[in-house]
Amino acid sequence: MLIFEPHIHMYSRITDDYERMSLAGVRAVLEPAFWLGQPRTHIGTFIDYFDTLIGWERFRAQQFGIHHFCTMGLNPREANDDRVNKDVLAVLPRYCEKDSCIGIGEIGLDDQTPAEEKFMAEQIELAKRHNLPVLVHTPHRDKKKGFERCIAIVKASGFPMERVLLDHGNEETIKITRGLGCWSGFSIYPNTKMDPARMVAIVLEYGVERMVVNSAADWGVSDPMMVPRTAVKLEQAGVPRARIEQLVWQNPIAFFAQSGRLNESMLRQPARANLRETFDGNSVLRGQDPDKM
Amino acid sequence: MATIDLRPLLGAAAATADEITQAIRSDRTRLPVLFPSVPRRTGRDIVGGGVRDFGGHTVDLDAFRRCDVTAAHVLLATAATEAEALDLFAHGDMEERAMLLRALHFLPVGQLTVRLFGEVQRTNVALHLEAALCDGDLFARTVGTPGFDLATANKLLLKFAFLDVPLRRCLHAERHANAELSRMLQDLATEREAAGRAVWRDTWRLIGRAPCPGSLARLVGGLEHGDDGVRLAAAEGLLAANRSDLAAFARERLPRELRAPIRAVLARLGGTTTS
Repeated sequence: MLIFEPHIHMYSRITDDYERMSLAGVRAVLEPAFWLGQPRTHIGTFIDYFDTLIGWERFRAQQFGIHHFCTMGLNPREANDDRVNKDVLAVLPRYCEKDSCIGIGEIGLDDQTPAEEKFMAEQIELAKRHNLPVLVHTPHRDKKKGFERCIAIVKASGFPMERVLLDHGNEETIKITRGLGCWSGFSIYPNTKMDPARMVAIVLEYGVERMVVNSAADWGVSDPMMVPRTAVKLEQAGVPRARIEQLVWQNPIAFFAQSGRLNESMLRQPARANLRETFDGNSVLRGQDPDKM
Repeated sequence: MATIDLRPLLGAAAATADEITQAIRSDRTRLPVLFPSVPRRTGRDIVGGGVRDFGGHTVDLDAFRRCDVTAAHVLLATAATEAEALDLFAHGDMEERAMLLRALHFLPVGQLTVRLFGEVQRTNVALHLEAALCDGDLFARTVGTPGFDLATANKLLLKFAFLDVPLRRCLHAERHANAELSRMLQDLATEREAAGRAVWRDTWRLIGRAPCPGSLARLVGGLEHGDDGVRLAAAEGLLAANRSDLAAFARERLPRELRAPIRAVLARLGGTTTS
């Protein structure tokens, strides 16, 4: 079964993860621009990070046959930081036109401050200008209210709901999003947020229409294998294979294909993997013989 | 900057190119925003038309894509500065960088060329080496430009050997053969042989043009190699060495060579034919 992992921060993962994911059927990943665990203090660090998302990280993924895409944006945490927020908005347009950029994100709310709302709204306008869909990070604290606020901001912007993916959802938020026409994302974690068993229950109750699952794996306690693991749990629970494939492959493709920059046929083949190639003079080999990898 | 009219090559992409050009002329900050979209908007199909001369710039259009030519057209039409072009390279993805390096073939040779050749040398990316140096005479035209002396040029030509790219794709590069390059190529060949790895075939062709100590032995030895391509390259290298004292050796070697193309070169070397 092919898998499109629609939210994972590979920047913070090792090559073993890429290898395991590839072996488990992950053919493509979407890496949303996010924060880096501690505040960045000047714009240059954002520029280097964005360049990494379209450069080295894409190259790394390709070495394991995985197509790498990203969304670009100012994350809600750092939207609160006046040292960088305006400058990030100023540099984003050039990155929005990169071939591998297939959306704006992750934007949204975290502490639910006026600054977060302002920059979320501004970035929805950015998405309009670049004809891209939007990946929305929803708060982990006071989630239900934050969800409702995110939805209100989207509605106020006049942005089409079918081009919005509200992420990090759970049993409560699905009740809100089902009737809106937007897409619902569920981040499956080893211990917190959602877990595979709870996701099975949601699928059994609501089906898989306009729904995606992801690992949201980063440098914290998280698991890049959570989408394959969830697929196994769904199959064991008797969910038809076609529905599982829709959830983990067709749905994320359908959502991000709204960017006009990817389609299923281009993902059917593995990404070009040539372990003899370098990126900026660097490879993933660390001296190993590529023929023995 | 505008010296070459590329518009006739743009085909259906001409209207898009005009739109992009106009937008950049109105607002320079649009250049880094619009440049990445060129392949998507104008297409990646091959321009075609074979080797063409553009006012002293030789380019094989069978190896250039519509977006490459559009990028060159946009940069020329908007008089993009060296700083702007370097910024596009620094923050471009792999394909944008390749497109920019392709566009260089149509731009005047200058410090931008030298700086980007330096990036190609530094980064060791095969895609970018091919984009900057292959299918045109840009390399040959750039040798001698301030900052790109023969010693620097040698390092780039050595990349061809490292990456096993045929030298014929870098038009007229052979004219810049020199003894120091031959030494570098022979040292690499010795390393490769010690490791049991193949040697870049064009090594024999280049060292014949500008022999250094050991070249003649390597050329003669190459004629006994089991690989037809190596024997042909060695024979051509010997011919380029233009040593009349090798004629008798070539005539002695000729009967043992079975491959017609190699025999033809040996015959010329032996003085039994002239073409």
